[in-house]
Amino acid sequence: MSFLQEFQVVVLAAGRGSRISEITAGKPKCLLPVGPKPLLWYPLYKLQKSGFYEVILVVLENQKAEIQLALEKSDLEIKIDYFTIPDTGDLGTADSLRLIYDKLKSDVLVVSSDFISDVNLKGLLDTHRAHNASFTSLLIHPQHSEAIIVPGPKSKHKPERDLIGIDEQTNRLVFLASASDFEEKLALPMSLLNKHPKIKMYSNLLDSHVYVLKNWVIKYLKNEENFTSLKGELLPHIVKKQLVKPPEATNTNQSIINNNDPGDIFSLAKEDDLELSIRELSSFNDHTGDLKGPYHGDVIRCFAYIAPKGSIGVRINTLPAYWATNAKIIDYWNKVAHSKELALKSSKATISSTQVDDKCIIWENAKLNEKTSFKNSIVGSNTEINSFTRVFNSIIMNNVTIHQKVALENCIVCDGVTIESGCKLKGCLVGSSHVVPEESEHTNEVLTESDRLMEF
Amino acid sequence: MNKTNDLLSKEKVVQSVVIADTFTDEFIPISNDIPHALLSMLNKPLIDYTLEFLSLGGIEEVFLFCSNRSELIKQHIDKCIAKGEGWSLTMKVHIIVSESCQSFGDCLRDLDAKGLLRSDFVLLEPGVLSNVPLLTLLEKHRDIMKLDKYATMTIVLQESGVGHRGRGSEDLVLAADSQNRILFYNKSTKNRSKKIEFPLEMFLENPSLSILHNVRDTRIAICSASVLPLFSDNFDFQTKDDLIRGLLMDEEILEGTIYAHVLRGNQFGGAVASWGTYRSLSQELMQKWIHPLNQPRQKNRILKNNTVIGACSKVSNTAKLSSSVLGLNLLIGNNVIVEDSFVFSDVKLEDNVIIKRSIIGPGCIIKTDCTLTGCVLGQDTVLEKSTCIENGLLQSSTPDNESFEKLSNKAYKLLEDDDSNKSHRLFVSDDEEDDDEEGFSESEDELSYTQSPVPDDTKLFFTEVIDSLTRGFDDNLVCENLILEINSSRYAYNVTLKEVNFNVVRAILLISLREPIGVQYFSHLSRLLSYFAPVLKNYLRNESAMLDSLQAIEDVVSSGENIKEKWVIAVLQHMYNKDYLAEEVILDWFRNLENSGDLYKRVKPFADWLEEAEEASSDEDDDEGSD
Repeated sequence: MSFLQEFQVVVLAAGRGSRISEITAGKPKCLLPVGPKPLLWYPLYKLQKSGFYEVILVVLENQKAEIQLALEKSDLEIKIDYFTIPDTGDLGTADSLRLIYDKLKSDVLVVSSDFISDVNLKGLLDTHRAHNASFTSLLIHPQHSEAIIVPGPKSKHKPERDLIGIDEQTNRLVFLASASDFEEKLALPMSLLNKHPKIKMYSNLLDSHVYVLKNWVIKYLKNEENFTSLKGELLPHIVKKQLVKPPEATNTNQSIINNNDPGDIFSLAKEDDLELSIRELSSFNDHTGDLKGPYHGDVIRCFAYIAPKGSIGVRINTLPAYWATNAKIIDYWNKVAHSKELALKSSKATISSTQVDDKCIIWENAKLNEKTSFKNSIVGSNTEINSFTRVFNSIIMNNVTIHQKVALENCIVCDGVTIESGCKLKGCLVGSSHVVPEESEHTNEVLTESDRLMEF
Repeated sequence: MNKTNDLLSKEKVVQSVVIADTFTDEFIPISNDIPHALLSMLNKPLIDYTLEFLSLGGIEEVFLFCSNRSELIKQHIDKCIAKGEGWSLTMKVHIIVSESCQSFGDCLRDLDAKGLLRSDFVLLEPGVLSNVPLLTLLEKHRDIMKLDKYATMTIVLQESGVGHRGRGSEDLVLAADSQNRILFYNKSTKNRSKKIEFPLEMFLENPSLSILHNVRDTRIAICSASVLPLFSDNFDFQTKDDLIRGLLMDEEILEGTIYAHVLRGNQFGGAVASWGTYRSLSQELMQKWIHPLNQPRQKNRILKNNTVIGACSKVSNTAKLSSSVLGLNLLIGNNVIVEDSFVFSDVKLEDNVIIKRSIIGPGCIIKTDCTLTGCVLGQDTVLEKSTCIENGLLQSSTPDNESFEKLSNKAYKLLEDDDSNKSHRLFVSDDEEDDDEEGFSESEDELSYTQSPVPDDTKLFFTEVIDSLTRGFDDNLVCENLILEINSSRYAYNVTLKEVNFNVVRAILLISLREPIGVQYFSHLSRLLSYFAPVLKNYLRNESAMLDSLQAIEDVVSSGENIKEKWVIAVLQHMYNKDYLAEEVILDWFRNLENSGDLYKRVKPFADWLEEAEEASSDEDDDEGSD
C-alpha cells in the first residue's frame, strides 16, 4: 500500500497549437524547438527540479510515439506516465482532466506543456496549502517586450487579455473573465464589492495555466459534462460560485426527499469537520473590516499567487511568443534551467563552418558544411546546410536540407523542408516538408503547401 | 508695511474654506432654528470642532461661508474670539455671508468672484471632524501637481468597513490607479442597485487598478487654485460630487484630475451630513477616536451605560438613561427612560416619559406619560400629556407648507410627501435591517458579470417545481411537505422569491392544462386549485406576490397553449374568490395591460364586473358559477 501523494502532477501536452498552425502542421506543438530543447522539456525539467518524481503526461494518441521518442533522448529523470486521449474530435483541457479522472486521487497540479518559467512553484503550492483553497492559480507579471518583428506577413498581434480581480487583503481570486466577454461595460454585483471592499483588478497579468486544483474540483468536473476548458469555463464558474450562498440545510425530518444531491458543488466542496472545528476554535481570520468569520464562511475559495516582479514566465502559444522566447532563451537559460550547463553546440553535430557565432545553438547530428555563416540562429537535428549559405536570426528545425548559396534572415523553417540553391528568404515562415524551388526570393511570406493549412 | 513683504507673507498663508451650510433638509426641523454649524455635538457646536481641527492642522486663514442664519454664527465666532479659544490665537477667521447662495457650488462661485484665494487650499464641507495633519496633505498634493499639472483635487477618504455606521446612507464605490488617481466615482444613497457598471476601457487602459468600497468621504478636499474657476465655468455643478463626476466624464474638455488619499493609522476624519453620521461621530468623539479633538470635559459628565450629560441638569433617581447624549440644564422627572437618543439643552422631560431613538431639540417640554420613538423634535416644541408618536418630525411653529398635523399649540407634526425617502434620515432604522438584506442579496444572485442573466437555474427550478407538484397531486401528499420541497429547490437553484411565486403559479396552471380542455376541464382545474390551496396561500402573501402570479397567468396565456377564451376569467375568478388575489391588484394589473391585446379583451368583462362590484360596494362573494 502506498501513501497518498499530496499533489499529483498533470502536464497537458495534447494541445494542437491552433494559434500557430503555420509552424505546428505535422508536428506536436510541444516538440517545437526552443533553444537547445523541445518546448515540453522546460515544464518537465521545472517539475523535476521542484521535487516531483512522477507526472502524468496527456498527449494525443497519434503523437505519443513521437513525443516519447523525443523525451527518451533527453536527459529527464522524472518518471513520465503517458496518457493518451483520442486525436479525433476537439477535446479541451477540462475534457482531458475528465478522462484521467480515475488516476487522480489527490489534489492536482496542472501544468501546461508550453510554459517556460523560472518561478518557484513553492509559493503557489504554499498559498494553496495555507488556505485549503479550491484552486490556486499562478499569475505572472508581463515580460518587458520590445517591439519585435515576427516572420511571416505583417499582422496586428492582439493579445487576449484577462481581467483578474484579486482581493488586496486576502489574495482571494474574486473575479476572472476574459476582456473579450464584454462590450463596453463591465457590471460587478454589489454583493461582491460588499464582501471584498478592496479589489485590485489586473488586465495585464499572464495566466500561466498552472493551477492547483483540489481533488473535489475534479469530481465536480466529472459530473459536469458541459465544461470543455479549464481556463475558459470551469475556473470562472468556480470563482463565481464563491459568492453564492450554499443551500441551507433543510430539516430532513419533515422533507420527504433530501434535496442535496451529492454532485452539488457545495456538497463536494464541504470541508473536513476537523478542519472546520480547528478554524472555529482558533482566532484566525483572513480579513478585517467587517465582522464576518474567516473566509466569510465560504467553502469555495479561489486564490491567486502572483509571481514576484521580474520573474520569467511565458506561454509559447503564439508566434510572437515563440519567436521572442527563442531570441532570449540564452539569456533565460540559467534561470529556467536551474543553472544546468548549456550545451550550445551538440557534440554530435558536425560543424565544419568557421563562422558560427556564440549565440547559435546547434542540435545533434546537424551538419554545417564549410563556408557557411551563422548568426544568432538555431539549427535542429539531422539538418544539413551546404556551403555558401548564410543563416541569420533564424530558427531551422529538424531534418531540413538547405542547398548552396541560400540566404536566410529572420526565418522560421519547419521540419523536413528543402530549400534549393540560390534562394533568398527574409522574414519568412516555411511550413513543414515544403520545398522551396531554386532561386526563389521571398519577403515576409508564409511558404507552405496550402492544402496543409486547410486542415486546421 | 513694505509692499513686497506683504505679498510674500500673503503667499505663505495656508488657507482653508469652510462651507457652513448643508443646503439639504436632512436636519429639519432642528435646522429651522439652528444653523448646521451651531448644531451641538456633545454639548459643543460643530463649528468649534472644525475650527480646532483646522488650527491644529496648520491652517492660518479660514473663510467661513454662511448663508442660513449667519448672524448667529457671527455672534458665536465673536464670542469665541473674545473668550480666546485656542484656535483664535493662530488662525484668522473671515465670515463671508451670502444669503443668495443655494448650493455648495454657488458658494464656490461666489468665492471665485471675490478672488480671495490665490493658491492651494483646504476645502471643507459642513460639519467636519478630523485630526489629519493638513500641512502634510497639502505637501503631498503639491508633489502630485509636480507630476500631473492637471491635478485638481485630492479628496481625503477614511477607511470604513461595509456596514459601518459612519458611512451613513452613502455608498461610495471608486476605482483608482496605482498613483491613486480616481478613474471612477459613484456615490449612491441607500436605494442600492444590485450591480454596478464600470467602463471596460478603464480596465484595459490600466494594467492594474483598485476598486474600493471600504471607504467613506471625510468631506475634506485639498484643492488646487483651478477648482474655483471650474465651478465658475460650469454653472450646473452644485456639489463636490458634481465636479468629480464632471471631470471624470469629459476629461478632455475640462482637463482636471482627481486623486484620493486614504487615511491610515490613527488619522481620522468624518463629517456630519445626516443624523446617522451625527450619531456615529458623536460616539467616535466620545470614545476619543478623533484625539486630540475631545468633548468639553468641563461641561460634560460621563455616566455609565455610554451616556453623557451636560452640567446643571437635574435627573431623578428613578430615570433610566442609556446610550444617549443629554444637554445642559435638563430637568428629568421620575421613571423617565431615554435610550439611544440625543436630548439638547434646556429640555424638560416630565415623569414617565419614554424616549427612544429620538432627537429632542433645545427648549422642548415633554409632559408626563409621553412616548416618542424615532422622532426629531425642533426647538421649543411642547408635547401635551400622554402623546405617543412614532417616526415623526415635530416643530413648535406652524410649518410653511400645507402638509402638517396640529398636535397642540406648540407641536406640529410634519407630514412627508414620500416617506420612503425621508424615513431613513431618522438615524435609527437602517442598520438592523442591513445585515439581512445583504445576506439575502448574496444568496439570490446568479452573478453573471455580463448583462444578460443566465436563466438556466430558474428553468431547472421550474422543472423541479412541476415534478414536485405533479407527484404531490398524484400521490396525494401533504401540501406542507410540497412547500418544503419547493423551498429547498429554491435554495439549491438560487432563485428569487419573485421567481418562486411566478413559477409555482405557472406550474400549477400548466399542470392543469395537461387535462384536455372540455367539459371536464374546469372542474379538474378547480379541484387542482383547491388541492394546492395551502401552497398558494403560502406564497401569495402580499401584493407583489399577487402581481407575480398574475404575470404567471399572463405567461401561460401567451405561451400559446391551446386555451379556451373563458380560461383566464375562470382562473381569475377562482383565485379572487379564494382571496389569493386582491381586487385592487387585479385592477391595477389590468390597467397596465396592452389595450389592444388579446388578453385585455378576455379579462375586460371580469375587470368590468369587479369595478361594478366595487361601485355597488357589495362585499359578499359571488357564486362560483363559472365552472
